[in-house]
Amino acid sequence: MEHFLNQLFEAAKAAEIEACEAYIVERDSFGAMIAEGEVTEYKSNQTHGLGFRGIKNGRMGYSATEAFDEASIDQLVRGVCESAELCEDEDMEFLYDGAGEVPQMKLCIDEDDNIPASEKIELAKQLENCMKAYDSRIVKTNRNSIRTGRYRVRIVNSYGMDRTFTEDSYIMFGMAMAKDETSVSTGFYGVAGRTPDILQPEKIGTETARRAVSMLGARQVPSGQYRVVFENEAMADLLQTFCGIFSAENAQKGLSLLKGRQGEAVACAAVSIIDDPLLLDGLECRPFDAEGVPSCAHTVIEDGVFKTFLHNLKTAYKDGVQTTGNASKAGYASAVHVAPSNLYIKPAQKTADELLGIAGNGILITEVSGLHAGANPVSGDFSLLSKGFAFENGKIVHAVEQITVAGNFYDLLMNIREVGNDLVFPLGGIGSPSVFAGEMAISGS
Amino acid sequence: MLSQQAAAEVLNAALASGGEFAEIFLEDRRDNALVLQDNRIETVHSGRIHGAGIRVYVGLNAVYTYTNATDRDGLLRCARQAAAAVQEYRSLAGIKPFYVPQRENIHHIKLLPSAVAARKKAEVLRMANAAARDVSAEIAQVICSYKDSEQDVLICNSDGLFTTDRRVYTRLACQVVASSGMENQTATESPGAMMGYELFETHVDPEASARSAAETAIRMLHASQCPSGIMPVVIDNGFGGVIFHEACGHSLEATSVAFGMSEFCGKLGQQIAAPCVTAIDDGTLANEWGSENIDDEGTPTNKLVLIENGVLKNYMIDRLNGKRMGMAPTGSARRQSYAFAPTSRMRNTYIAPGNDADDEIISSMGDGLYAAKMGGGSVNPATGEFNFAVQEGYLVKDGKIAEPVRGASLIGKGADILMKIDRVGRNMKMAQGMCGSLSGSVPTNVGQPMIRVSGITVGGRA
Repeated sequence: MEHFLNQLFEAAKAAEIEACEAYIVERDSFGAMIAEGEVTEYKSNQTHGLGFRGIKNGRMGYSATEAFDEASIDQLVRGVCESAELCEDEDMEFLYDGAGEVPQMKLCIDEDDNIPASEKIELAKQLENCMKAYDSRIVKTNRNSIRTGRYRVRIVNSYGMDRTFTEDSYIMFGMAMAKDETSVSTGFYGVAGRTPDILQPEKIGTETARRAVSMLGARQVPSGQYRVVFENEAMADLLQTFCGIFSAENAQKGLSLLKGRQGEAVACAAVSIIDDPLLLDGLECRPFDAEGVPSCAHTVIEDGVFKTFLHNLKTAYKDGVQTTGNASKAGYASAVHVAPSNLYIKPAQKTADELLGIAGNGILITEVSGLHAGANPVSGDFSLLSKGFAFENGKIVHAVEQITVAGNFYDLLMNIREVGNDLVFPLGGIGSPSVFAGEMAISGS
Repeated sequence: MLSQQAAAEVLNAALASGGEFAEIFLEDRRDNALVLQDNRIETVHSGRIHGAGIRVYVGLNAVYTYTNATDRDGLLRCARQAAAAVQEYRSLAGIKPFYVPQRENIHHIKLLPSAVAARKKAEVLRMANAAARDVSAEIAQVICSYKDSEQDVLICNSDGLFTTDRRVYTRLACQVVASSGMENQTATESPGAMMGYELFETHVDPEASARSAAETAIRMLHASQCPSGIMPVVIDNGFGGVIFHEACGHSLEATSVAFGMSEFCGKLGQQIAAPCVTAIDDGTLANEWGSENIDDEGTPTNKLVLIENGVLKNYMIDRLNGKRMGMAPTGSARRQSYAFAPTSRMRNTYIAPGNDADDEIISSMGDGLYAAKMGGGSVNPATGEFNFAVQEGYLVKDGKIAEPVRGASLIGKGADILMKIDRVGRNMKMAQGMCGSLSGSVPTNVGQPMIRVSGITVGGRA
């Protein structure tokens, strides 16, 4: 690898690339999936990829490869030159000089992953058994999965910056199908973390099965305006879909309606939203961002007031502010964009049950589907297939399916009445507690 | 890419501790992507995907390992890793001598993307951008992207198959944002094909695509909110075919059917749709976005009738799930890349033309919704619950198309909806999408003529 990098940087210099950077990802992962006691998927791999970028005549060019051979050096350098030459983006481009202290973070266990594959498979089988043991109406389970992996990122550039971090991940999830005389329902649940102690088949299996069984006998409600409480995971999914509105990159391109609204109330006073790459509860922890800038936390919305967009070096320079360390790459090959790290709605005091009590009568939404289709991050509009429960006088009365909940995310932020205390980060970096969202349009029968 | 001798060594190593079948999938892919935004070329990106996956069958299941090290030593390491996972099972199989099947290339490419300068590709984006912005002063942003890829694959297995294929794809995507300052609406058009740069000379007019997206965005900016409730819905041709893709297609894939997780399990030969519905999944259509010469297990693609006059005829089956189901594979095994084991997927899936006239379909519907353009959607195959978004919708009042409405989504259960299709038009059209499932994201066509569903839940805000 060092030899390849030396050759690459030499070749870049010879091609008059003024400054350049390699972003290298190495991954070692394992995954198994169980259905009806059988190992229906068994995957293991060691892979790597290198993203290369460089500045030539003031423009940034990009290329990438998974093959570290002679042909790739030529392809990478030529790719960057061609790309920089065509690019018309007039904004200043930067590579980071490596300034600043990188916080110490422990994101991996000290030893190599030494749980044998057979033991991991056994855990996934236990997961399935726990689902079946929960209730006789669990008739099938599927895609019961365990995934473990180690991920190493290294950023090396011609300014002498050379930074790396290593992260472990452990994920377990399952799907259960419940059936009674009249209906079929499914439940999905998963957990993820950086240490093997999150692999708890009984807890995860029981919750998966509970979710499936709880939806048996679900029915539509008549179309109309209802008071809506979003359960924590459903609210986190919505926030995930719309978190691009906090990106300075989107704002600069006219894709966020928050543009120019810093200092204004854009949400109800009960809402604070924080981006914190150092928070170990979320899965998007990192000591530095995709440009190598050291991480720190930022308050995006404080008591309803919009404080700051998330920035990388380029968007910060354009707006005349400091980067927030939110440079992000979708993969080693991707260009540098802006994305949140662990972004979450700050929890308050009340439990989810208390939120139902405050709302009185309405619908508790536990799951929203089809976010890639039914929600538009640019307009803020959404109309989403949803599941959940009807509640009366704060008590759940029956399960609800085949409804949509429709609204606009910008409006939703303003209309939130209460924020709960049950913050979760479902399988990712975006988290939320349950919220009482006021009245919303529900479509059903 | 790999000699037959080295391939044989690797397959033998993969079967060293048992297993009935071993396979190597080797891939070398060159991708190019250009993005225009804010009236200027913003990023130009080239990349090379290179790696191999090794699969060993153990009974009805498989072990899958993959690597970027595709020389003989790297592949042997990867094969041994697979063999190590097979340990606990024992059933010996040797490998058969290789044969290289002769077949005709159905998808001829005239202008390989690698032979076309990036400058010319950028031209396509500039044309599209200008055309979209010309539509209205309310067009606030245009994001156009151009993507092409040349994928070379080598597939060989212990049954003696040794075959290669080249897949070339080119696609344009135009996302247009219309804004009133207070509100945004967006629309997209994303035409593509299994073609090279000739796509833009013979097939796709970038300006027309961009204009179409811009016009939709403007119409939706000035539309009122869609009402809610159950009503008759007419879905027009082209991307409207996403309804069949989500409501039914995924539930006919062996990934769901083989495990009893589909509402259409055990229903071959039964009436699952209204008699006016015939649906086809065809991987052989020349140069279509979802076509291939061979699938990712090396099986030649075919034309598969899924539903004929409402009766379920076939499932889409890959080799491994075929063993589980006791049925032959249908050339439907696909994967995003070497990093995924292949499984059954759709190719070009469409509802075949019927006998109804578009005018009559609308004039006889009374009050309802006309979905001129659809957005994307998703499905839970176990329950058949689907959802999709309407990109451009209109109210229909007393059989006449009335004002535009926005923000609608359609939800329901596949089995119900198929039975409620009561009109199928004559003019079938396909559109391009990327479909995500167990084996990653793969190019698929959806398609249909205009159809009518007698009642479906429309989710709106009014």
